[in-house]
Amino acid sequence: MPGFLAMADAAGLLEVLGQPFMQRALLGGLLTGALGGLLGSFAVLRQLSFFSDALGHSALLGISLGILLGVNPTLVLIPFAVLFALLVNQLVARSGLPADALLNIVYSTSLAFAVVALNLVETYRGGIQQLLFGDILGISWSDLTVIAVLFLGALAYLAFSLRAQVLLTLNSDLAGAFGVGANRHRLIFIVLLAVVVAVSIKAVGVLLISAFVVIPACGGRLVSRHFPLYALASATLGGGCALLGLLGSGLTNLPSGPCVVIVQFAGFLLALLVSQQTSRSPAVAVPVRPQIPGAGPVDPESR
Amino acid sequence: MTDHAPVLLVEGLSVRRGEQLAVEQVSFQLARETDTALVGPNGAGKSSLVGALLGLHPRASGTVQILGHPLGPTGELPRSVRAEIAYLPQSLALQGRFPLTVGEFVGFGADAPGLSLAWLGNRRRTEAVLRALKRTGCQDLAERRLSELSGGQLKRVLLAFCVVRPRQLLVLDEAQAGLDAPSSEQFQQLLLELRRQEGWTVLQVSHDLEMVRRSCDQVLCLNRRLRCSGAPDHALSPARLAELYGPNVVPYRHHHAGVPGHG
Repeated sequence: MPGFLAMADAAGLLEVLGQPFMQRALLGGLLTGALGGLLGSFAVLRQLSFFSDALGHSALLGISLGILLGVNPTLVLIPFAVLFALLVNQLVARSGLPADALLNIVYSTSLAFAVVALNLVETYRGGIQQLLFGDILGISWSDLTVIAVLFLGALAYLAFSLRAQVLLTLNSDLAGAFGVGANRHRLIFIVLLAVVVAVSIKAVGVLLISAFVVIPACGGRLVSRHFPLYALASATLGGGCALLGLLGSGLTNLPSGPCVVIVQFAGFLLALLVSQQTSRSPAVAVPVRPQIPGAGPVDPESR
Repeated sequence: MTDHAPVLLVEGLSVRRGEQLAVEQVSFQLARETDTALVGPNGAGKSSLVGALLGLHPRASGTVQILGHPLGPTGELPRSVRAEIAYLPQSLALQGRFPLTVGEFVGFGADAPGLSLAWLGNRRRTEAVLRALKRTGCQDLAERRLSELSGGQLKRVLLAFCVVRPRQLLVLDEAQAGLDAPSSEQFQQLLLELRRQEGWTVLQVSHDLEMVRRSCDQVLCLNRRLRCSGAPDHALSPARLAELYGPNVVPYRHHHAGVPGHG
């Protein structure tokens, strides 16, 4: 039996689950995974997938600064992520250049500085793999508290602003005419997404962080036609896959990030399968010709 | 506000887009329950004007009053006034498999503006949505995804979004763009019917001068400044059209049998 599967049996599972660090990791993974899926369900529709990817890469600079300054990197990461979000928002608003190009500039530069900074810190070279691919086993109770507060805050904000977020996605003028403060909601959402990405880095690492946001949302979209169900399915898929991925990581001693992303991809494939089965089902309602009251027959338009 | 007071009163409005004035010193008013068309060539400032009226773009100068309430410098309006405005855009950014059904979207319009749990099940909202869908001929589309609709269906759903709750002012920005002639005709007919039933005051940006001539009470001809305004026969005379669009424009009248008001 290969070494990394040595613990993958029932006794090993119980032993792993009994460890407090593993319990914290699983709870943290469940919450960050659900948060990634929830925020991702909006971010993907708003075409902000690349934002999370760019932020993930840039976060390495935040972590490096923390190490250089001798401060806990997790503490530096959240303010760094917020600053990153505000900087990108300002650059997009002031330069008039496409957001993806600006994100590329900001994250490449951040990454370059981060690598230079990490080279200055001799003692940290060995831990670079944890940064890149995640090390959720190091999650503390204070980290968990931050994640739980963030989860509740995001849930409340998105529940009350769901209509505003959807209208903004569909047409910003329609949202504005409806009284939605477009700039305010856009900024709050970007900052929230930045903070979620920052706290999720411990679970999945900087290289794979965008998967945390994108894959559950795409899976959820395949199986839902109603928006609240879509957000719920994305959060469930995100949380569930993170839990399974971390269990797999704990049992096999493989890095947590890749394990979670592989399980997420399996979840996505399952959603694809389910969606194809559903679309083949004859139970799906076929709309009949719509009638306009007082008008003649309507042409059977179809895109 | 008295019944004779204008629904919309615009005085000396200028709108800056980038370095230049897109709209300069425009004044007009919309009387209650009238249908006004805003026409002009591409780049004339029509969408900028509409954006400024809705408080979406900042004004360089001038004042705007909606239902007797002044529009704030950065587009602020009392929530009760905002609730009386409906806006119908040219299109929606709908990607494939957009997870939102027609019924859900129309339901978003049922509650007044502001933070709310507008997605939760609610009997009053459900009934209002069903009524709105029926009135716009969309009752069979309730469970369809918005992204699965044709252009004509989507426009009717947008009208359902406007009619799901009583409103006073309806602003349409080239709402018929992208529709073929029969769909455009059906949309206009439905709009006319709902306007009469609802008592809407309508401001619509349009390039369809023949439709404007048939359906509207007043025309505003814009090319950065207001070049002319008045009843369609006056504002859309060949001489005024040539002044607005250039000398090569040829007024064209197309005819559709059985369209009310068509002459």
